[in-house]
Amino acid sequence: MTSLLTDHLISSLIAVPFIGIAAILLVRGRAFARWCALASSLGALGLGLALWSGFDKTVSGMQFVERVEWMPTFNIHYAVGVDGISLVMVLLTTLLTPLCVLASWTSIESKARAFMSLVLLVEGAMIVVFTAMDLFLFFMLWEVTMIPMYFMIVLWGGPERIRAGIKFVIYSLTGSLLLLAGIFGLYLHAGRTFDLQAIVAHGIPGEAQTWIFVALFLGFAIKLPMIPFHSWLPDAHSEAPTAGSVILAGVLLKMGGYGFLRICLPALPEASDSFAPAILWLSIGGILYGGCLALAQSDLKRLVAYSSISHMGFVTLGIFAFNEQGIQGSVMQMFAHGVSTGAMFLAVGLLYDRTHSRLISDYGGLHSSMPRFVVMLSIFAIASFGLPGTANFVGEFLVLVGTSYGGMLKVLLAMGGIVLAAAYMLWMLQRVALGKPSTSAGAMLPDLGAREILTLAPLAIVVFSVGLFPAPLTETLELAVSGLVEQAAAVLEGVGAASD
Amino acid sequence: MSPYLLIPLLPLLAAFALALGGRRLGAQAHRVGIPAVAGSFVLSIAALAEVAAGGPISIRLYRLLDVGDLAVDIGLHVDQLAVLLLPLVTGVSLVVHVYSSRYMTGDPRYRRFFAVMALFTFAMAMLVMSNNLLATYMCWEIMGICSYLLISHWADRPAAGRAATKAFLVNAVADVGLGFGVVLTFATYGTLDIQEILASASSMDSRTFSLLGLEVRTNTVIAFCLLSGAIGKSAQVPMHVWLPFAMEAPTPVSALIHAATMVNAGPFLLVRMSPLLLLAPAAMVAIAVVGAVTALYGALVSLTQSDIKKLLAYSTISQIGFMVFACGVGAFGAAVFHLLAHGFLKGFLFLSTGDALAATGSHAHGHGPVRGKRLRPLALGALLLACVPPFVLFSGPYERVWSARQIPSADAAFWAIGLATVFLTALYTFRGVVSLFGSPVGRSVSVHPRLSSMAHVSGLAVVAVVATAFLAGLWSLFSDFLGPALAGGPPAEASSGLTVAGLGAALAAAVAGWAWAYHRHLNPAAVPLPRREWAKTAYVLLLNRLYFDEIHDAVAVRPTLRVSRWLWRDLDLRLVDRAVHGVATLVRLCAERLARTAEELVIERLAHGTASLVRIGSGWLERVAEAGFVERAPHVAGTGFVLTTGWLWRMVARHVTGEALQEVGQPADGAGATQGETGPRTLRHQLVIIVCWLALAIGLTYWLIL
Repeated sequence: MTSLLTDHLISSLIAVPFIGIAAILLVRGRAFARWCALASSLGALGLGLALWSGFDKTVSGMQFVERVEWMPTFNIHYAVGVDGISLVMVLLTTLLTPLCVLASWTSIESKARAFMSLVLLVEGAMIVVFTAMDLFLFFMLWEVTMIPMYFMIVLWGGPERIRAGIKFVIYSLTGSLLLLAGIFGLYLHAGRTFDLQAIVAHGIPGEAQTWIFVALFLGFAIKLPMIPFHSWLPDAHSEAPTAGSVILAGVLLKMGGYGFLRICLPALPEASDSFAPAILWLSIGGILYGGCLALAQSDLKRLVAYSSISHMGFVTLGIFAFNEQGIQGSVMQMFAHGVSTGAMFLAVGLLYDRTHSRLISDYGGLHSSMPRFVVMLSIFAIASFGLPGTANFVGEFLVLVGTSYGGMLKVLLAMGGIVLAAAYMLWMLQRVALGKPSTSAGAMLPDLGAREILTLAPLAIVVFSVGLFPAPLTETLELAVSGLVEQAAAVLEGVGAASD
Repeated sequence: MSPYLLIPLLPLLAAFALALGGRRLGAQAHRVGIPAVAGSFVLSIAALAEVAAGGPISIRLYRLLDVGDLAVDIGLHVDQLAVLLLPLVTGVSLVVHVYSSRYMTGDPRYRRFFAVMALFTFAMAMLVMSNNLLATYMCWEIMGICSYLLISHWADRPAAGRAATKAFLVNAVADVGLGFGVVLTFATYGTLDIQEILASASSMDSRTFSLLGLEVRTNTVIAFCLLSGAIGKSAQVPMHVWLPFAMEAPTPVSALIHAATMVNAGPFLLVRMSPLLLLAPAAMVAIAVVGAVTALYGALVSLTQSDIKKLLAYSTISQIGFMVFACGVGAFGAAVFHLLAHGFLKGFLFLSTGDALAATGSHAHGHGPVRGKRLRPLALGALLLACVPPFVLFSGPYERVWSARQIPSADAAFWAIGLATVFLTALYTFRGVVSLFGSPVGRSVSVHPRLSSMAHVSGLAVVAVVATAFLAGLWSLFSDFLGPALAGGPPAEASSGLTVAGLGAALAAAVAGWAWAYHRHLNPAAVPLPRREWAKTAYVLLLNRLYFDEIHDAVAVRPTLRVSRWLWRDLDLRLVDRAVHGVATLVRLCAERLARTAEELVIERLAHGTASLVRIGSGWLERVAEAGFVERAPHVAGTGFVLTTGWLWRMVARHVTGEALQEVGQPADGAGATQGETGPRTLRHQLVIIVCWLALAIGLTYWLIL
């Protein structure tokens, strides 16, 4: 049993959520569904941590690889494995899911069994996306994540849920279609294989790289989202139930950034290089634009949603800076954003559970009635604008250092986004937490209970511990990132030499 | 492990313990905070002694980041500069802690208050000792958030929340400069270790980089970035607006911010990076100008303020301006001296103010309680404070900077601004002290005969001069001690007669200011009110602090919000979102159009075609019938009957075989076809049978009748 588990650690990790789903579907009862979902997501977290502890940081390349033939006719494999980048994303996924289950403990009244199974389904699918080494597997599960999200939004969402859900699905489907086209392009040009490592080793001819890159870029840019493909996000985030928003902002968006790192950079280095300047400016535009828009919001969830657009700008800024600091920074930023924005949505959700209002103007003076909540909200707000000592600072600083190789003006403009972040977060805090309550009901809101503290406190601990001691994560990332950068640099050098 | 590690660590641990300690600590919070800070203070003194004896100490803590060629080692560098500041930071913080334990008794957020104060002390101590620019920046920002939390301590007051947000945001804007400087420093020097940067600063002097198409010298830009940070944290013009508003905080916090932490960070950073600044003359001039303007502005505005805490805030702004001014002219040692003197005196002033305010419950001017016993040392302190700036400014020649610029008028301006500010400083210091601790104007003479005696004033003046002389004696000791930590060793020997004369003139200006203020205080009625229009205008302008708050609001805050709203409403919702919806609508319209076209082109034509086919067919039938179908009818019917019956028979037979085969359990041959027919009788089957029977019946009838 032990050896089975250690040999198939990733498969076991993938299996745990699905076993949970099966159990929920077989056994009736809302309470069972909750406990079962919590247990299996905690089990997945445990396996994720086991994966991390078993991960050898001194070896580059994929580890824990499992490869089984699946559809030999099309050369499709079930192939999974992790390197540092995947591992950080898997950790993020497994960390956030139990908290999503806890956050939906009482707030999801109707069809709790279905909801819990959907949460687990997203988790399982995302773990596969982050560990897949076969592009067909990657794409299939990429699509699978969309379905539970759609149902979460449409069945348990806010008043505008139908519109938001359909918008989300159609927008995402458009992106997936382009992604599929890109993946088929890779398949055709790399000797009819979906194996990513084989594709990278084979190389894609220069003229084909451009259109494949454009297709993949659009697919990932919609998911991330980059401006101007972001307009599904505020609707979906604000209408989704709390757990849905957390999963969307915390993990689902990261699939876009992960796709850039996993597919675009290694497989299409030349096209990535030639498109990089434009993408960098688009990222900076996104940082400032998202920040400005967040400043104009009067709805708490929309504010956090627009702030996500701004923060995701840092991710692409780091990735397309093409150096170790930039890429490590962008993975750190993805992790930190997942934790802090996930926590912001959890916190706003707790508030929404009490009052059923998302408007900032309905709150005020919460510090007297909900002191513990205000402490938590403040922690995640200051993390969100990257105060030193929080994980977000590490990510943003590394991204800025990475960007500095490509010109100081970009650094300066990107820092403007941090000021905007401080402005909208502190202004929000001022209007929500400080001052006098705007309504008499606001003065009597109950403070956080034990379960709610348990939902938020782990994230607060993660935010600070990663911020002050980022070494465990950066060491995990180190070889994967340096390998990526060196490989791309070698290819580009070869191209440069060939053209000279 | 060096024990000096505990200097920042003790307050940090205290902050953690208080933050996580639960309610049990509640009203006992000071029992954690005070010993921790006291421990830091004792260790600071020990560090001072050790550094004085044995030179700088370096302690490596841990590696924060190691990514590519970016390695950030957090550590402590305890040199002469650090050990001079540490006793100020921890000492004033200790006094403030002790004071707060009484002042804040009964506050519902007592524990939080002490936790944040301890964290604040940690951040400043760490900033002073940090050996790494990134760690400096981190502490810099942590102080920002601490000030935010303390200013908003009385969160029920809407003004407190506004003031806190304002303080942090003004700092955040200025800190963009500092953060940019940190990144630029790494990009240029490849390291963030402060000692390494300073050591290699001169070799990087020719480095340039391009910003917005301009080639600029890197060191100059870094120096401007440091200045930007200092402008924010140390409340220099034009980013000073947050400091007066920070008075919403409880009074001990003001003491902490003004005397021990926060505002001192700016001059400290400039002094710390002085070797680099000296390589950037343009930045030095900018620093001097900012400092001079701030010193003058703060002094003028504090003359008109009637709220005692605002008055003290503007006096701090002015004093810190002096320190920055001193840095700008290259007198780094003098700036540190001033910083120390100001820190201790201002801390004392604020805590006394707290007492006064607690007693009267009012911020208004001139109602302070009368405490004769305290008055004398305080007045002396104030006079000393007034004498520090001239002493600081005119204690040495600053040829290095000013002659490098080769601008004689700058020299004159330096003297003019310096003397004017010294005069004004003496004026407002006296005014502040008297308004706090003296009696209300008009009654003072009778109540306080001792203060009103002319002999007393001259006595004070004598004491001041003696004290200054003492300080001057101390000064050489001080500058010798601080020398190794500064740019180019101790300042050049102040041997020229000009300097002595300058010092004399400056001290005279200070005493003159003091005397004039005293004169006004004694004879309030004798001083004519401003009669001229321009004087009134100036007064109104200064009373409103030159409208800086309004300017900030109009230039920065409102446009940003307006742009944001415009971007959201007009660009994002109207353009981006509508574009997406537009595409969707377009697709839907296309689909509808396609459906309609298909209907028109395919389905209707098909229907028409069928109809015409039927028509043609029936026409043909008609023609065939007319042409002798009737004769051939029996034959046709017979053939039809035979064919139909045969087909029917075959169908039924196959049906039966299929069923039979399935019963035996053997696979039927011709899998697809048979499988389809083994199912239950469907409507299709029955229809076929009915049609066949009908055909049979019609055929029979036809054949029988004809």
